[in-house]
Amino acid sequence: MSQQRTRREFLSQVGVAVAGVAIGGVAAPGCAAEPDEAGKPNRKAADNSSPRVAIARDDALARGRVGEHRELLRKLLDAAVQKVTKQADAVGGWRSMFRPTDHVGIKVNTLGLSTQPAVVDAIVAGLLSAGLAAENVIIWDRFDTELAAAGFKLNKSARGVQCRGTDAERYGSGYQRDIEISGEIGSCFSKIVAEEVTALICVPVLKDHNLAGASLGMKNFYGAIHNPNKYHDRNCDPYVADVVSHRFIGPKWRLTVCDATRAQYNAGPARHPGFAWPFGGLIVGSDVVATDAVAADLLDGERKRRGLKSLEDDKRPAKHITTAGARGLGVADLKKIERIDV
Amino acid sequence: MDNLDNIFSQPTRRDLMRFGLACGAVCALGRAGRAITQDTPGKRQMAGPKLEGVARHAAMHWEKQPENRIKCVLCPRECEVADVERGYCGVRENHGGEYQTLVYGALCSANMDPIEKKPLFHYLPGTPAFSIATAGCNIECKFCQNWQISQFRPEQVESTLVTPERLVSVCKSRDCPTIAYTYSEPVIFYEYMHDTAALARQRGVGSVMISNGYIQEKPLRELCRQLTGVKIDLKAFTEKFYQEQCAGKLKPVLATLEWLKDIGIWFELVILIIPTLNDSPNEIKEMSAWVVKHLGPDVPMHFTRFHPTYRLKNLPRTPVSTLERCRKIAMDAGVHYVYAGNVPMHEGENTYCHRCRSELIRRVGFRVASNAVKDGKCSKCGAKIPGVWSQGQVIPG
Ligand code: SF4
Repeated sequence: MSQQRTRREFLSQVGVAVAGVAIGGVAAPGCAAEPDEAGKPNRKAADNSSPRVAIARDDALARGRVGEHRELLRKLLDAAVQKVTKQADAVGGWRSMFRPTDHVGIKVNTLGLSTQPAVVDAIVAGLLSAGLAAENVIIWDRFDTELAAAGFKLNKSARGVQCRGTDAERYGSGYQRDIEISGEIGSCFSKIVAEEVTALICVPVLKDHNLAGASLGMKNFYGAIHNPNKYHDRNCDPYVADVVSHRFIGPKWRLTVCDATRAQYNAGPARHPGFAWPFGGLIVGSDVVATDAVAADLLDGERKRRGLKSLEDDKRPAKHITTAGARGLGVADLKKIERIDV
Repeated sequence: MDNLDNIFSQPTRRDLMRFGLACGAVCALGRAGRAITQDTPGKRQMAGPKLEGVARHAAMHWEKQPENRIKCVLCPRECEVADVERGYCGVRENHGGEYQTLVYGALCSANMDPIEKKPLFHYLPGTPAFSIATAGCNIECKFCQNWQISQFRPEQVESTLVTPERLVSVCKSRDCPTIAYTYSEPVIFYEYMHDTAALARQRGVGSVMISNGYIQEKPLRELCRQLTGVKIDLKAFTEKFYQEQCAGKLKPVLATLEWLKDIGIWFELVILIIPTLNDSPNEIKEMSAWVVKHLGPDVPMHFTRFHPTYRLKNLPRTPVSTLERCRKIAMDAGVHYVYAGNVPMHEGENTYCHRCRSELIRRVGFRVASNAVKDGKCSKCGAKIPGVWSQGQVIPG
């Protein structure tokens, strides 16, 4: 049994209490991150302005298959990144967030309604434009099987963009052996997020969640811990914020690209064609909380438009977003977020 | 092939120690090193062809809900699970509106243990119990000794597929009187336990469930028709403890104990005493009074010693004097059989006749050194001793 520790290992485990780690790597609200002289992103806030969240939409995206719109996706994403980072152009925007030496983990969501591979291709193109080597980029989720089923091509070779699940080698070998405590959670983290990457891009899908209200960027990181099933009580709150607060995630988080090419406004997270929502867009931000807050607001708006109860009235408010905001992980108050249509 | 036969035929040094054949070593470890504690799996694990993926099987005890959701009614959590999601225990999954267990026969631990290690002290003393587990648990105790299997999902733990037929026939061929469903939480591998216990009963092999008691009434009653004994971990006697230390509730466990009493199956209670968290004399007094009132004086209580582990490493081991105090409180409250556990060679590990107080069973480690219970009675005063003393008592014929 691979999870079995030797007595020595077992006794050497030291409980690590890490709570409330601020999201250091994420641009502060309104941050126009300027590369410093060494080409290293300077992530200090330039002013106290509101965080920006870009909603990049095009009706054409809602038609046909998402994979047919690669060019359009690239254009929309670049425009959104440029707006969010307040840089002169898209390449400047990508460079303001990622160093060429970074190892970037792209966390997709392949449970139920999945992240579209074409959206991830657009992200990879952006990273390459910032000077990263393809080998320094890894697309990941929990399982190889789920990644493959969602249309991602697994790549475990040393060349090109990597793509694999935490459980790729099975029997829990992809998780750290020791438990990490963060707030109320106690979990073993994926080695990918804990040991391999220096920066994270989160690519959730704009979709409803039967317990958390909405399954967005922060909730997506339940896929980084070995025991997410333990943390669904109380609308997943405060557990989502506990996961995001952890030093393996918060400080590494640079960007959320919420895939809203094909969204779902009810009965998630499983795919449910009856509640499909052809949003045809991306929701992009570098403030993890603000991006989720805007996405959740769009979801609630769509539910209202379709005559469904709000998440609040359906007794599954996305409380984790408010909690994350209250903890200073980002901005949850919609009035303090600058929405930009692209 | 799996290695079930080897587990029967080749005792490890640790097995020998556990059985008390190297009692000096047991005692030394008990004092100086990591104590040999009750009901942790031994070093030797299941071997054989590794299970690829999970072991899917239709789950029992769940209800359909709108939009392909289901509600699991196996345990008091009553998880509402959306399609493609799993319940809290991590081993039951909604697959297109049908609920499935993912651990049917997926054994991650199998060991030949003395029944005393469960601990069951009034159940065929001195006999072995073939002890098995799958991954998963429906609560999360911060002091779990077996968290490397109980708090993981099935695909994160190495497992070997063993059918009920295979398990029962190996036990039968080796004259092992009992299968123990243990280590993690057997309620979450309910279907496998149920089917195996039913088959075992037909073939004259008993089944004991070593559980946290977190189960609903209907599945419990259905299961107990097949089981021959139960041990319940009563974690504490306050809701606060259950909520803060176990992510569970006390009330459903007390209900389970009353149902077990009503069903009439043999059961014993274990209370792990953790310094400062559940060791107050008042709490033990209230608990003991409740046991006597609701379950009667004949249900044995085992107060066992805590060792720092998992998420609770900041507390010391339980002083032996605390266990002695708990034992005295329970005996004063009228409980007939009260034990001190995880303290090898302590007099509190022996059984004394509740009527004449003569020593009935002397234990050395997990070995029975002497047994003066004859035909279920005290050999000195003739008092009837509660428990299961022969297989015929639980599996007639
Ligand atoms: S058995 Fe598992 S799925 Fe069912 S209610 Fe209990 S924790 Fe939930």
